Amino acid sequence: MFSLLFRMVRDRALAEDLAQETFIKVLNGIKSYRPEFKFSSWIFKIANNAAIDHLRRKSIDTLSLDGAPSAETPEQMRATSLQLGDRAESPLDEVENRELGTAIERAIGMLRPEYRSCILLRHVEGYSYEEIADTLELPLGTVKTYIHRARNELRVYLEDRRD
Amino acid sequence: MTDTTMHLTTDEIELWAQGLLPAARALHLSDCSLCRVEADRERKVILELVQLAKFAPQPGFADRVMAKVKVPTPVKDWTG
Repeated sequence: MFSLLFRMVRDRALAEDLAQETFIKVLNGIKSYRPEFKFSSWIFKIANNAAIDHLRRKSIDTLSLDGAPSAETPEQMRATSLQLGDRAESPLDEVENRELGTAIERAIGMLRPEYRSCILLRHVEGYSYEEIADTLELPLGTVKTYIHRARNELRVYLEDRRD
Repeated sequence: MTDTTMHLTTDEIELWAQGLLPAARALHLSDCSLCRVEADRERKVILELVQLAKFAPQPGFADRVMAKVKVPTPVKDWTG
């Protein structure tokens, strides 16, 4: 869970604060836990909501090569997409994020938060598409779309770096 | 179109990258360079993702959390 938060907000101290907030919510709200829901999913859901809320509050802008999540057609995706060079990390960011300094970590950091949650739950935490849909309260089709787009963006970023 | 001639879907490519695609469908990759290239690219990204490091909070994290959790006051048992 801490790994997810750290990769979501890309700041160790902040991730720790959010992890603390998550566990306090879990422990204080344990009576509201529904046993039909996987316990770890419940924790991830609270953690992810904390991260997304923080990112929204801070209006940390992320970019997507594939455009807005709502974009359905190639034209809409082109119209809402940005170029990779638009949001390069400053040297200071790079020092602060030494732990997240590899190419793949930087690429993950450039994904929009919704894509980032999905791809991390899928490939780092090993959740199934259905579990991600339950955890993030998203339709299954949306989860699949986000993950496919996220992987595509990561591929483009990594291949661009290798060229 | 048969199992071996039909191009792989995105979901099937993910299954292949995880070694879970049924052999009949995986055979298609030996005949189709288009799918092979796509599958290899996808597998590289998935491998990088599954090998990512796990991070842990600083020592003392659990104590800091527990210090902020409301411990319920025990209910006095008047029967005993």
